[in-house]
Formats: sequence, C-alpha cells, structure tokens
Amino acid sequence: MEWRLFANLAETAGTKRVEVAAEPGDTFGEAFDRLLETHPELREEILDEDGDIRDHIRVLRNDSNPFVVDDGYDTVLEADDDLALFPPVSGG
Amino acid sequence: MSLDLTPEQLDRYSRHVIMDEVGPEGQGRLLDARVLCIGAGGLGSPVIQYLAAAGVGSLGIADDDVVERSNLQRQVIHGDPDVGRPKVVSARDFVARQNPDIDVEPHETRVTAENVGDLVADYDLVVDGSDNFATRYLVNDACTLAGVPFVHGAILRFEGQMTTFEATTPVDDPDADNGPCYRCLFPEAPEPGTVPDCATAGVLGVLPGTVGCVMATEAVKLLLDHGDSLDGRMVFYDAEDMTFREIQVEPRPDCPVCQPGGVESVAEVDYRESCAIE
Repeated sequence: MEWRLFANLAETAGTKRVEVAAEPGDTFGEAFDRLLETHPELREEILDEDGDIRDHIRVLRNDSNPFVVDDGYDTVLEADDDLALFPPVSGG
Repeated sequence: MSLDLTPEQLDRYSRHVIMDEVGPEGQGRLLDARVLCIGAGGLGSPVIQYLAAAGVGSLGIADDDVVERSNLQRQVIHGDPDVGRPKVVSARDFVARQNPDIDVEPHETRVTAENVGDLVADYDLVVDGSDNFATRYLVNDACTLAGVPFVHGAILRFEGQMTTFEATTPVDDPDADNGPCYRCLFPEAPEPGTVPDCATAGVLGVLPGTVGCVMATEAVKLLLDHGDSLDGRMVFYDAEDMTFREIQVEPRPDCPVCQPGGVESVAEVDYRESCAIE
C-alpha cells in the first residue's frame, strides 16, 4: 500500500511516496502505524502530545476523510486504496 | 444591470459577448460585480489582472504591504519602479492602465478581526490570496458567518491548494447551506513556525500564476453563475510532477463556524496562534 505525502510532510520524509507493508484487509490504522514506523521523523509533525493526529493534518483514503465517511482507524483497506496525508499551506 | 454596453465595451469584451454562456447579460453582470481581493501579492497579481481584464466592475484590494524587490519574481502586476510603493497603489495603477472600466477600491490595511466584517460585507465575492494562516482563518470565519462566497488559494514551493466556498446565506439563517468551510478541512492552523511559508521555504515564481488563474476562473464563473465550482472539492496542484489531484471536502458535523450553534462572531476567536475554537 502506498502513502502520498504533501508539502512539508514530504519535505520531512524526503519523499512524496512511501510504500508500506499493508495489504487489503488490513485496517487504515495499521497502514498509518507502518507509515510512522517507516518514517519516524514524521511522528512529531503528525501526532500531538496525546498521540492524536494534529488538527491541521488531514488524512485521506481515496480522496475522502476516513474519519468522516468511513470507520476511521478501523476502516478496512481494499486493493488499490490510495492513502494520503496533507497539511494546509498559507503562502500567497 | 448594465445591459447597455457602450461601443467600446462591446469591442473590448467581444470575445465574452459572443459566448452563449456570457453574452451581453453576463458581461453586464461582471461589470456590476463587486469583488474583494485580499492580498495583492503572488496570487493577488493574476487574480487582479484577469478580473480587471474580464471587466469585473469594482475591485476592492486589501493589502498593507509595500512592494519589495524579492516580490518581483512572481508578483507580476508590480514592476521595478514600484519597489517601496504600497501594493494597493501599485495594483490600482496597473488596473488603470489595463482597463479604464474598473473602479479599484484600495484598502491599505491589514485585515483584522475588527475590520473584516465591514470589508467583506461590502462585496459580492471575496478572493483570498493572503499569505498567512491568521488571515485565512479570519476570512473563512467572516465570510462563512456572513454568507459571502469566497475563493481560496494557497501556495508553497511547488504546490498549490485551491477551493471555493459558495455559501451565500448567513450561518444563523434557517436556510443556511451549512458548510463545508475551510475549518471542516483544517479545524485549526498549525502552530506558528511548524509549517514553513514562502519567505523561508521559497516558491516557484510561476506557481502563483497557475493557482491564481484557477482562482480568477472560479470567481468569474461564480459571478456568471455558470459551470461547476470547486465548492465541496479541493484541488492540489503539484508543479514539480505536473499533477492535479482532487479531494472531497465534507462538512464536519461539529464545525464551530459553518454548523448551527457555533461561534456567532470573529470577535469570539483568538487569531494570534492556532486560531482554535474550543
């Protein structure tokens, strides 16, 4: 399964695409954990002191928010799912 | 409505007038429109340039900066002789040379919680090309609460984010659309310093040209009431990969701005740090 990273998250990880060992049938939470295991340097940017995803970080599964339209961390992944993380940018 | 276009206007806007989707009525609608551009920088430049060329009759321009030489790599309405001049004055002069039909209303001020309400209430549409999170949350909150539609664009390095919020009814009205708004995407701003800005991380000079043109396109379509806007969607543009990606923007049921029962005024919000609403 592949994660896409945007803006400063891609800068921090040094890549826009991260392949993680997650398969169809695994959960979104498992794929998320493996992203942070693969790139622990992202942890501080993505998680707050309580281990929750920071309010300004948006997570996506197939271009929608799994915490709104699916079952959040418990969402069961399907083949060809597209996972992404992005922060806002403010430049003008 | 300015259905009676002058011979000069029929000539100037002939490529619009000939289109079924615009026509003399649509052009009259553009000439009668009032749009507030927040920021006359990288994004504001193409927005102002194309809205003025299109004949948007009244253009408010809010910016408290002066033109710096480091702006000129991307802020295409300002030139070398404008360095040191207020951006709103330089922008006004640019538009005067470009299209005498346009009435520019310069607001040489920083948009604040104290003045944002009066500013946005005076316009049909707001285009946010500001350069900091505080202003972006302020614009979202003020426009959403008042029911003023706005177009959002933001850039960093090679990437741009673009969307539109079409709500035209105040949140406290029973007929309000109830979102989404920018806070449904990002409830809070990053802590200052955690997400870099263009001054520290840089920006490809042509990037705001692309993003600003999409913003101007959205604005013109909204004024013409034609086509499908980005309402409910955000487009990510990556100039490095030359890819456009679209994501869904869903209303957040507990959003304290676009949903009923939330804040009633920007005066209730502290915009100095994360712009959080507890």
